[in-house]
Amino acid sequence: MNASERFFRRYIFSTVRIIVLFLAVNIILVASYFVIAYLGNMATSKFPIEDFSDHVTVTNGEFSADIQAKEMLNNADAWAMILGDDGTVVWEENLPEELPRHYSSMDIAMFSRWYLDDYPTNIAKRQDGLLVIGFPPGSVVNYYFSFKAQYIWPMLFGLAAVFCINILLMIYLFIRNARRVEKAMVPILRGIRHLSSGKPIHLEETGELAEINAGLNKAGDYLLKKDNTRADWIRGISHDIRTPLSVILGYASEIEDTSSLPEAVRNQAGIIRKHSERLKDLVADLNLTTKLEYSMQPMQKQSLDPVELARQAVSEILNDSLSELYELELSEDNPGKSISIVGDQALLSRMLANLIRNCIVHNRNGCKIQVSIGSNDTLCIFSVMDNGCGVSEAQLNALNSDEDISSTQKQTDEMEHGLGLKIVRQIVKAHQGTIHFFETSPIGLNVTVKLPIK
Amino acid sequence: MNDKIILVVDDETELLEMVKSIFMRAGFTQVLTASSGEAALKVCKERQPDLVILDVMMPGMDGFATLKELRKTSKIPVLMLTARGEAEDKFAGFENGADDYLLKPFLPKELLFRVKAILKRAYPRKERKVSFDTATVDLDKAIVQRDSESISLTAKEFQLFEKLYENAGRIVTTGALCQAICGDFWQGYESTLATHIRHLREKIEENPSKPITLVTIKGIGYRLNIKGAQR
Repeated sequence: MNASERFFRRYIFSTVRIIVLFLAVNIILVASYFVIAYLGNMATSKFPIEDFSDHVTVTNGEFSADIQAKEMLNNADAWAMILGDDGTVVWEENLPEELPRHYSSMDIAMFSRWYLDDYPTNIAKRQDGLLVIGFPPGSVVNYYFSFKAQYIWPMLFGLAAVFCINILLMIYLFIRNARRVEKAMVPILRGIRHLSSGKPIHLEETGELAEINAGLNKAGDYLLKKDNTRADWIRGISHDIRTPLSVILGYASEIEDTSSLPEAVRNQAGIIRKHSERLKDLVADLNLTTKLEYSMQPMQKQSLDPVELARQAVSEILNDSLSELYELELSEDNPGKSISIVGDQALLSRMLANLIRNCIVHNRNGCKIQVSIGSNDTLCIFSVMDNGCGVSEAQLNALNSDEDISSTQKQTDEMEHGLGLKIVRQIVKAHQGTIHFFETSPIGLNVTVKLPIK
Repeated sequence: MNDKIILVVDDETELLEMVKSIFMRAGFTQVLTASSGEAALKVCKERQPDLVILDVMMPGMDGFATLKELRKTSKIPVLMLTARGEAEDKFAGFENGADDYLLKPFLPKELLFRVKAILKRAYPRKERKVSFDTATVDLDKAIVQRDSESISLTAKEFQLFEKLYENAGRIVTTGALCQAICGDFWQGYESTLATHIRHLREKIEENPSKPITLVTIKGIGYRLNIKGAQR
């Protein structure tokens, strides 16, 4: 799972969590409201009618309400009456004038559940009649619900089902939306990844995010143009420098080899030749590193025998009149074991040559250089080891920290331009390999390159 | 070899002069120059050189076009010289029939070495005999003459010796030698190679167990030491 998939998955989960939290909070709030309302006796319909009834007593056929009963009525701005068995008002308190003093059984049936002339009412049965409490019009809403018993459970179940379906639909729609956003975002994120690794991009400039895609395409084109300009510049410079350098090298060599000339002149020509050779190497290295950097040179990959590859690289250097100060050896860790890797022969040969020449350049007083080839089930291991002056710990750390620019060169070294190791790193990277630098005992440097076996 | 006619083609006059000077100093007596593709074709027709050194980038007819035109009528060896380091250029050169390819800037000795190698391949000497302290190898007859005795070389020994002789003084890797006697699928033939080397040493070395002519370079390959061939 890549970063963007992880992001969207987390996004979906967090939103589902938010929905669940939202519902839970709402349920808690509604429940709290009812609890508070109940405790605070806020519902007027919950007038303590039974309690009130106890405060209305009959003595010798005369009804009387005590102070508390009157207070209860006044607090609720309500009125009260007691109807006798025949529907006549036998006792009243605060009863509005406009209301009748006698009620038929039909009147009683009507107001007992709804209203008496707009006055919401509550009723209670007493031994001596029917107690009726009336509240100010509009202060209480009376509804009367009536269901057939057999429909109660299906209705409750239906309500729960509607609730659940709503929740599920909400989650589904949300996930669908998130997927749509993901679908639109994935090419953009891929484009950004490609841009960061310097690869060209082309995103479809359609849909809601067309503007972002167009911006990224523009940024990609700009980077590509910039890279191409730089590569063209280096290529152009190296091309223009080649012919003059050939002439300088040719004539300097000729003067150096002309025995009839004074020795001082020949030595000077030798210095010109030596420096021209350095320029020649620099031009070649600059070209190669630029090509590798911008993937301008398609790799000529083929199946290779790494041992023979190392033999050729080592023999090239030995054939090139290696000074006697250096001892160069090649060994196989598992002689007779056949190893095969897939790679660009010229580039891998160059990688080994650079590593060997690195040992030579940094150990002017000579050293022993040991090149070895080994392998395990998945990797082919090239190792170039010397017993020379080694490098400082800080340099070793910098070399192992995968910094492209680091080299084994000291500040005082004059003979190299420092591209050698950069090229080695680029070649290793192009072959999906790794490179490590170690100190050797008692002193020296060991560079190990591990490349995957096909 | 020094009597061969070399034609150098480049639009840069100073480079032409320099290359001519390199060959003259190396003992070549007939070095011709041309500063364009058209001029080169004309010289080829009139003087029939033995080898052409051809620059790729020239105004008018470039090196590849010149080579293509030249190949219609002639098979003379051509070494391409170029200021462009593109791999495609190299392949284009070989596809058009170039024998070798050298990138500018070059060292004079590198140019000489390549030209001599091409000439050696293209114009083998009539009598190819190599003399060592104890024996003489006749490459035309594939025999070793030793103490008035003629010992013939087997086909494999001959192929092996020829490969080493072409690179005399230089290390030839085990793989390159195996390839010379077994073809492209040479892996696993290292021990066979060692056997052929031993037989070859028995024929040309005074003391085969302490070889001085055909020496082993441990872990890498072999080198044929010929007087004057060490580079």
